[in-house]
Amino acid sequence: MMPGLAFVAAAALLVFLLLLSARDENGDDLPATSMRNRNRLGAADALRPAELAFRIFSPKDREFIRLTRSTRLERLYREERRRVALHWVRRTSRELSTIMRHHRLNSRHSQNVNVAAEAKLFGQYMELRFLCAGLVFLIRLFGPHALADLASYAGELYERLGRSMPDATATNHVAASGGVVAR
Amino acid sequence: MVMLSVMIWSVGVFLEILLLVRGFQEKLFGQFPVFYLYLLFVMVNDVVSMCVYRWASNYYFQVYWVTQFLSLAIGSGIIFEIYRVALRSFPGAARMTRCVLLIVFGAIFANALTIPWDGVFRWLAAATITLERNLRIVQALAILTLALLFSWYAIPFGKNLKGILFGYSLFVGLSIVQFTLWRYSREQIKPFWSYAQPVCYLLVMGVWIRALWFAVPLPKINPDPQIESDYELLIATTRDQFRKTLARLGWAARA
Repeated sequence: MMPGLAFVAAAALLVFLLLLSARDENGDDLPATSMRNRNRLGAADALRPAELAFRIFSPKDREFIRLTRSTRLERLYREERRRVALHWVRRTSRELSTIMRHHRLNSRHSQNVNVAAEAKLFGQYMELRFLCAGLVFLIRLFGPHALADLASYAGELYERLGRSMPDATATNHVAASGGVVAR
Repeated sequence: MVMLSVMIWSVGVFLEILLLVRGFQEKLFGQFPVFYLYLLFVMVNDVVSMCVYRWASNYYFQVYWVTQFLSLAIGSGIIFEIYRVALRSFPGAARMTRCVLLIVFGAIFANALTIPWDGVFRWLAAATITLERNLRIVQALAILTLALLFSWYAIPFGKNLKGILFGYSLFVGLSIVQFTLWRYSREQIKPFWSYAQPVCYLLVMGVWIRALWFAVPLPKINPDPQIESDYELLIATTRDQFRKTLARLGWAARA
């Protein structure tokens, strides 16, 4: 085996030891507390309905602010909306980890755990977490309207391409429908 | 120099005896039989090795490597014991751990199969240090897998088990570092080699003595009586919550 692998294994093991030694013994009571809190999910602490997300990420407010033609106001709006959007995504991400934590604290006791179902669930969880991380990245980099802007930009680009190459589009349509193939 | 080696050895044997006596007094033998068997083996091995070193030094290296592999085999039992004791009350987590460990060992085995057959024999016939280091890497991977799953399922260790896991992981980690250094910079490490291993072992003994001086029962977590019959419901609920979250994220993307 590669010497690198040996060092990585040893280093990972030593990091684990550090984490293990830092783990608070009182932390062992944590699962029991979580069990008591299992019904809290979706109650008072839950996120607002999906419409809130629609409102946060909607470009309508931006359009409205643009009408004022104030650069300062627009900048303030962008900053505030970015913060609100980031907060919303982070809360969603936190809620996801709470859901998963609740699930694994319960499933560890179960006699009839389905390994395939657990693996699939873990995959979905990771997918969602990555999605949240991607959203955070996009919001940080381009602002909360990045996805809508990207979609509209792609749409515009598509239309522009379609306008500039009408013959090619027509040929592709014919080829796709199983008609004459352009040579 | 020889005196120093003998002194380190003697301290090691003393600490092993102390640990065995405390284990007997605190009735920890029954709780961790493989661990105490390992300790007993290492103690007898130390005494035998010391005698061979003193009176039949020609045979010392043969004795050293044979006993080293035996201790490695019994040491692997400690990993199994950690798994058995920690997950006794968590059948769901135990099932997942078995499965993940099978995958890890399967991957290691598959990786070994990719080596050409003459390569395997060459690998097996290679320096004993390399072979032992490779086996220690397999142990380290097993410990890491266990540790990740314990952390994922928030398995409570208790002071005794935590100490055994901590000490043995430290021992395996330090062994890998030592063997790798020996393989790639033998000449530089040679003067320290005979001291490095026993000194590291003394460090591990210190960890074990601290953790196993008193018997501390494993923290008990009473499972929710609904859980066993409700596993399907639990899966369905979690999936439903994920779906709702995904829908919310979808709203954000569509906005």
